[in-house]
Amino acid sequence: MKTALTTALVICLALTGAGAQRRAAPSGPLNPFASNAQAIGQGEQLYNQNCTACHGINGGAGEIGPEIIHKLSGALRGELDDNQILDVIRNGTPRTAMPAWKGKISEDDILKIGAFLHSLRGTALDNPLTGDVALGQDIFWGKGQCGSCHMLAGRGGLRGPDLTNIAAVRKSNSIVDALTKANHRIYGDGGVHLSALPPMDTYDAVHIVLKAGKTLDGVLLNQDSYALQLMGNDDQLYLLDRQQVQEIDARPPIMPTDYDKRLAPKEFTDLIAFLTRQGRHAPPAPSRASSNPDPD
Amino acid sequence: MNHPNRKTPVLAWMLGASLLCILPAVAQDTFPAQPGKDWPIYGGSYNNQRYSSLKEITAANAPNLQAKWTYHVEGMHGLESVPVVANGVMYVSGYNRIDALDARTGNVIWRFRREPATSAFQRGAAVAHNRVYITTNDGHVLALDARTGAQLWESKGGPLVSFAGTPPMVANGKILVSGNRFHGADGGGFIQAYDEKTGEYRWTWRAIPDKDDPAIKTWGGHEPGGGPIWIGGAYDPDLKLVYYGTGQPNPQWSGKGRPGDNLYSDCIVALDIDTGKLKWFFQTTPHDTHDYDATEIVVLADVTFKGKPRKAALQANRNGFYYILDRTNGEFLQATPFVSRVDWGKVDPKTGRGIPDPAHEPTVKGTITCPSTAGATNWPSPAYNPATGLFYVTATEGCGVNTLASSAPDSETSYLESPRDKESWQLYTRAIDAMTGATKWDFKQIRSNHYGPGLLTTEGGIVFSPEQFGQVSVLDAKSGQSLWHYNTGDLITASPLTYSVDGRQYLAIASGTNIFAFGLPEKAQ
Repeated sequence: MKTALTTALVICLALTGAGAQRRAAPSGPLNPFASNAQAIGQGEQLYNQNCTACHGINGGAGEIGPEIIHKLSGALRGELDDNQILDVIRNGTPRTAMPAWKGKISEDDILKIGAFLHSLRGTALDNPLTGDVALGQDIFWGKGQCGSCHMLAGRGGLRGPDLTNIAAVRKSNSIVDALTKANHRIYGDGGVHLSALPPMDTYDAVHIVLKAGKTLDGVLLNQDSYALQLMGNDDQLYLLDRQQVQEIDARPPIMPTDYDKRLAPKEFTDLIAFLTRQGRHAPPAPSRASSNPDPD
Repeated sequence: MNHPNRKTPVLAWMLGASLLCILPAVAQDTFPAQPGKDWPIYGGSYNNQRYSSLKEITAANAPNLQAKWTYHVEGMHGLESVPVVANGVMYVSGYNRIDALDARTGNVIWRFRREPATSAFQRGAAVAHNRVYITTNDGHVLALDARTGAQLWESKGGPLVSFAGTPPMVANGKILVSGNRFHGADGGGFIQAYDEKTGEYRWTWRAIPDKDDPAIKTWGGHEPGGGPIWIGGAYDPDLKLVYYGTGQPNPQWSGKGRPGDNLYSDCIVALDIDTGKLKWFFQTTPHDTHDYDATEIVVLADVTFKGKPRKAALQANRNGFYYILDRTNGEFLQATPFVSRVDWGKVDPKTGRGIPDPAHEPTVKGTITCPSTAGATNWPSPAYNPATGLFYVTATEGCGVNTLASSAPDSETSYLESPRDKESWQLYTRAIDAMTGATKWDFKQIRSNHYGPGLLTTEGGIVFSPEQFGQVSVLDAKSGQSLWHYNTGDLITASPLTYSVDGRQYLAIASGTNIFAFGLPEKAQ
């Protein structure tokens, strides 16, 4: 293990050094497969077939190769742009275990791997998928009925998560999964601890019968052994004690996960193009000197 | 100090008053058999039963409980330590630091800080003889004056080691501490003893067998590694044996390169307190490839098992089985699953030997196994109540996925919660019959799904049951019915304690970075 780590470190340093030298170089043309969901999927397969012998899955650290996407690669992420990464894939890194892939796999496949790595590196806003955004907006408010549960910039329903900034916090593939996979929960590493008490993010649909006879339908925002917090289908927030409750029945999820089927292919592509553009990048943290004076 | 567990000092009586001057030091070695007004070590007492003799708070008056005070522990995150209490003073520890509080009010009395400052997880201190003992994250054991925080000694005698933040054990004139990495990278788990008064190094026991130990043959030629000892032990003052659980072999999930049982990983071990020599061991998961460990708290209880009195050692193991052993010799008595699904393997009902199922070996593709690597339970302390005959444990239902990074013999890997909804994780406060292993009642910790806090029980007929998601509840020890609750507003991963000052009983717990203390209103007492 120690040897593998040392090798990884060498590669990491080599890449970082290469990145520093190349930093001033022009970044070159845009990868033609960037933002192409199908090519990104093929790129993932190619990555898994060719790269995971050394690197980890999803750009993580492997037994020989360094992490490409996350922590250790902060220097990589900051200093190698997409074309520089493609250059490393094509030509390898001298004096390390990173081989040149040019000639071993096609240039298109190298570009697809590059598109896949690009898709891992940022949020949807960094990698918005292609499509007709204006038509996607129409689908959101019209045929897709997304606005009946979700809000965008103050307009829409209350039972689903607010999507105003969704593209800045989710990756494109995560947004696609949410619309197409019944089980799209993102599972974390089993060894990681939470750092605070989060509300529920499962939007479980329930039918509640109160002892007083009244019934309520809605989604659970939170619950524990003693209390429930419910967003009713009537857009009212209900704060309930379990002692008031006669029974709670789970109802089918209100979020459809067959949008790739209930919409025509182009409609779906346009909706995704629209969603992957909802949000804005967080502004850089203001420095003490440049921050605005307190208006008070 | 009160020492009801110590036999009448017959020797003193026989030898006459001239020797009495040296006897208090011997007599003071033992904490009370059952925690009462003080909670001087992690488990409350040597047997780890967490069964307090305090009965001011009862099932009848528990609905009147109220918060008494809160103390924020600065610079920390997610406290896993159990504060200790002696003579009305509470000691809240981290690596290299102690805050001493008035246990009635939460007012800080003194603070001790030592470089390097760190907020790394640490599980507690011990207090005895007006001294507080903690370990540091740079391999030292410290003794402080309990009244002022003045440093009395800092150990230097032991080999270069890395402690795991386990709470020190104070027994028989020694401080016992343990850790994960002996001599650097992966020298394996170890237990060390130091002189209680001077800090002088005494002995080391290692979970990795020596070259001349036949156990070395259980590694198939692989360099032994692992067996981390990151949870505190138990002690039997009559048998003069200490009991600890050891962790998993290394590499954690890939067993291909280390064929064999991999002793002394995943073992409950009994050591002679004076010499550190291994008296017996019992391995719960031979050739562990799920990181199950056997580090869960070992509870000592004198019981009647199948009509015969037994000095038992009880453990709800991370692998899903509840074990009953004879602690005098390690004899296996019984193992019963305490969660609904256990499929990593079976236990031979006669020998207790764990037999892993090859179908549940971790793979590159990912293998779903129950329980998950997080375990059917983990470090949260269980509690045993001799009056109800129930063993209370924070149980985790659910399964996990173990994925190898590659098929290489020593591949690294990871674990996840099972993606199948029916196998997702859910915590329960579970009462099981201590002798049959049958579940008697469950208290579902709604939303809590990961590790969670430990428990305690009292002669007042209650179980104090905190939840991962911040609630603390008092449950009826017989029925599990909730009698009172309070939302602490942060994640709880520590185990609770109870103590009394001026005749008033408190229940306390570390939640997030705060200590909470609860008690009855004055007029209700």
